[in-house]
Amino acid sequence: MSAHEVSRRTVLGAAAAIAPAVMAGCAVGGGGNTEKVEGQADAKNPLGVKDDAPLEVVIFNGGFGEDYAKAHQAMFKENFPKVTITHTAVTEIGKTLQPRFIDGTPPDVINNSGAGQIDPGSLVAQAQLADLKDLLDAPSLDQPGKTVRQTLLPGAVETGTFGDKVHILNYAYTVYGIWYSKKLFNDKGWTYPKTWDEHIALCKQIKAAGIAPWTYQGLHPRYMSWPVISTAIKFGGPQVALNIDNLEPGAWTSEPMKMAADAWHQIVKDGYILEGSSGLDHKQSQTEWSKGKAVFVSSGSWLENEQKAVTPADFDMAVGPTPSLGAGDKLPFAAIRGTAGEPFIVPAKAKNERGGKEYLRTMLSMKGAKDFTQKVSSLTIVAGSAEGVQLPPGLKSCVEALKASGDKGFNWVYPVYYRKLERNLVDAACGEFFSGRIGPQEFLAKCQKGADEIAADTTFKKYKRSA
Amino acid sequence: MRLLKNPFPQAFLVVWGLMTALPLLWVFISSFKDDNEILSDPWGLPGALRWENFGRAWTHGHIGQYFLNSLIVLSVSLTLTMLLGSTTAYALARYKFPGNRLIYFMFVGGMMFPVFLALVPLFAVVRNVGLLNTLPGLMMVYTAYSLPFTVFFLSAFFRTLPTAVAEAAMIDGCGPFSLFFRVMLPMAKPGLISVGIFNLLGQWNQYLLPVVLVSDKEENYVLAQGLAALAVNEGYRGDYSRLFAGLTLAIIPVLIVYAVFQRQVQSGLTAGQLK
Amino acid sequence: MKHGKYPLLAAFLLPALGLYIYFVISPYAQAFYISGTDWLGLSDTYNWVGFDNFVRLAKDEYLRNALWHNAVLMVLLPVITIVLGLFLASMLNVGGGQGRVRGLPGSGLYKVIFFAPQVLSVAVIGVLWKELYNPRSGLINGGLRALGLDSLTKTWLGDPDVAFWAVLAVMVWANVGFYVVLFGAAMQSIPRDIYEAVALDGANRWTALWRITLPLVWDTVQVAWVYLAILALDGFALVQVMTRGGPNFSTDVVGQRMYDVAFGEFKFGEASAIGVIMFFLTLSVTVIALRLSRREKVEFS
Repeated sequence: MSAHEVSRRTVLGAAAAIAPAVMAGCAVGGGGNTEKVEGQADAKNPLGVKDDAPLEVVIFNGGFGEDYAKAHQAMFKENFPKVTITHTAVTEIGKTLQPRFIDGTPPDVINNSGAGQIDPGSLVAQAQLADLKDLLDAPSLDQPGKTVRQTLLPGAVETGTFGDKVHILNYAYTVYGIWYSKKLFNDKGWTYPKTWDEHIALCKQIKAAGIAPWTYQGLHPRYMSWPVISTAIKFGGPQVALNIDNLEPGAWTSEPMKMAADAWHQIVKDGYILEGSSGLDHKQSQTEWSKGKAVFVSSGSWLENEQKAVTPADFDMAVGPTPSLGAGDKLPFAAIRGTAGEPFIVPAKAKNERGGKEYLRTMLSMKGAKDFTQKVSSLTIVAGSAEGVQLPPGLKSCVEALKASGDKGFNWVYPVYYRKLERNLVDAACGEFFSGRIGPQEFLAKCQKGADEIAADTTFKKYKRSA
Repeated sequence: MRLLKNPFPQAFLVVWGLMTALPLLWVFISSFKDDNEILSDPWGLPGALRWENFGRAWTHGHIGQYFLNSLIVLSVSLTLTMLLGSTTAYALARYKFPGNRLIYFMFVGGMMFPVFLALVPLFAVVRNVGLLNTLPGLMMVYTAYSLPFTVFFLSAFFRTLPTAVAEAAMIDGCGPFSLFFRVMLPMAKPGLISVGIFNLLGQWNQYLLPVVLVSDKEENYVLAQGLAALAVNEGYRGDYSRLFAGLTLAIIPVLIVYAVFQRQVQSGLTAGQLK
Repeated sequence: MKHGKYPLLAAFLLPALGLYIYFVISPYAQAFYISGTDWLGLSDTYNWVGFDNFVRLAKDEYLRNALWHNAVLMVLLPVITIVLGLFLASMLNVGGGQGRVRGLPGSGLYKVIFFAPQVLSVAVIGVLWKELYNPRSGLINGGLRALGLDSLTKTWLGDPDVAFWAVLAVMVWANVGFYVVLFGAAMQSIPRDIYEAVALDGANRWTALWRITLPLVWDTVQVAWVYLAILALDGFALVQVMTRGGPNFSTDVVGQRMYDVAFGEFKFGEASAIGVIMFFLTLSVTVIALRLSRREKVEFS
């Protein structure tokens, strides 16, 4: 086989045992080191972008589509007209780009999102991502006197921080909560419950009205872990989330988690969940919800976009925080989980790393962010970028919820550090719990067991955060 | 009539027949419904014949594109499989040369490997020749992975062909190449049809290979993969009628081809079974 | 055939051989090598770790759980499919009552219908059944409710006690028709007068099936068993489309494990090790089956 690469650097002892012909086009072999293209930094070009170097951008073609990215690219070209931008939109980021990483020739900007994203923990652990510090400390493109970092919402940078470095820029701002139809509430004269007791009382009322109070994404039950953890954090304070993220022993079986799990068990026990939910996938269950078969569903603010096709015109979608357990809660009722999502990365081996960062700076300009919100109906991490933009009802309620939440907002990041823990282990535990096969204690024990497994598994790189 | 005395066998056949046919019929019928009808009354009939569901599946769901891709890939890969498979099988079956057995077992051994094992390196191997996310890449890989069975089956077939005919042709001055194409290949027609149908169905229904090798470019998805993406992917927005219409579009043509060629398909597949 | 032998051999063998070695042999060989590394699949750095992956996998309860499911499938899928297939085939081919040795009326139509799922892609079958199993708007629960059998409705793929059987049922559904045709072909070659003879002896359909048909198609049954067992070792496509191994890992199979480890966790060394394990399992099943059938064949002849 003549396709054998000559420049393969990694030749291992054991590899020599296998005939070169067989190793032709070898999976593990990489390419050579790429040389970076860099230009002269100045006030107008603080990151030192080479003004005629090509830039390659790969976008996840999911709920947000790809049009917003094309708009960002046009803005980039206004400042660097000589740069040619290659734009690709794909649905399976991981499988598409994995070989390019091995090869040492990744694109300059990647929107690493979707079900097929590249495990962010793995990318960081293998030192594949550039540190975004210089971008964050560069001046904002269109907000004079401020650095990029200073224009962002609080907590936005933390979701992409691993140890002491920022490797991921989560661009969209996602609000997680309990979703309902305001119209339905108005018609029936219900008010959104602020306390757990009110919530249960309302569930009773809803059930009596012949509607199911809850449904959930049965085949992806991890969606229900969000309200449980939120309830626990509001009861016990942000330390609850910190312990979970840091894989502290007993983090999942802590007192606040117990209180929260006990509380949520009630909607299972009392039959407040739409019959058959555990056998529905996310689209099936959310469609039932849109059709008014169930009142509440747990999701993030992408829900409005996802349900566009099946949402009745007068549905008036709204999000609410999880109800407070009681007077002892450390966080107020209005506190809601808001977090930056939709990860963008610049690979460490990107040829035009500086151009990649400049592209992110363009996205983080007020103009870029407003355009994004307008195009895809999602908030961004750029503070104030939703102001003056016409928002659909669900998103409007997100903005209001965030405002009410103020600096009491909270978040957790273990799914970013250890994708498997949420996607497989906590997911399975939630499935058992919300279908009523196990009680709250077993549920938490099962989550804890998953966390302990990850903690004990040396093949996962561990991260700690302190705030 | 004995039949009336013991209705059990007939009843059993009817039950299994219904169990097989009903799901398919249900999909066809559901594809005319709107989302509300699908969700509220699974056994109800559509209120109207909504042909536009198919239009949506064909264009917005890209079923048309996927369909075409499958056809393009198969037209090449099947031809290649049959050509390379028959020449290799012929050479191995009718010629003695050093290494014959080795090569034969190398091909036949391929039948025993789970494709899964090769998945990760295959990805790199395809990328290294620049064929990742391309239809030609799929053609090459389909062909390569169809060779073990094709070679195995056809070499058994060539071995059974009478040598007398070949010798007579040689005496008539027929060269080895024209002997193969003019004499041996026509004689092997029944075997070629059997293995051809076997490969046709196998390649048409392939899911794993395209999912891994053409994950990037949606416009290069093949039918089975595209349909699964339509149903499973999180990017999917609830549009049930489109999904059912898409399923119908994926099922009907295969069923028609099957109904027309059912005798050949059945004999081809069962012959394929007896490896 | 002396002159021109090597040009022909080169022309006939080399293209196929080249394609095959590059796209098939080389990946398999590499997979064995990668299974001995800790390669994480995103950089070109990796270490040779010998059997570490296998040692860790030996203790991995998720893999064990998946292997167990494959093992259960390997026993049940062939048994159920073969029994059903034999039964239906005998009804179609020799089931027309004592003394009248031919199939039931309409057997051609039945064959076409039974066989139909076989020509559908596994992915299509998976999508189809996912909707059939939909607990609220699916055909099955809808049917049960229509018949007043509400107590039998289930959440199917959402219930870990049921989901596995639901997946197994789809596998049987998709495959039975094929074996009806396969066994049918074998039964057609059984001389009619044997049945007529036993029919005169007063044997009914069941004894005829048990005593005559089964022994005479036994070879075919064995072939069917090998094929179904290998099929049971895979099961990935169906599981991936219908459940992704859930709920609570109750439908997890080795193929899904490998897919998750490779494309979810990017542990390509470990994933390849799972692949190698799969390889040896498939190999053993095939070898054992071939051994068994060879010995039996010798006994028969």
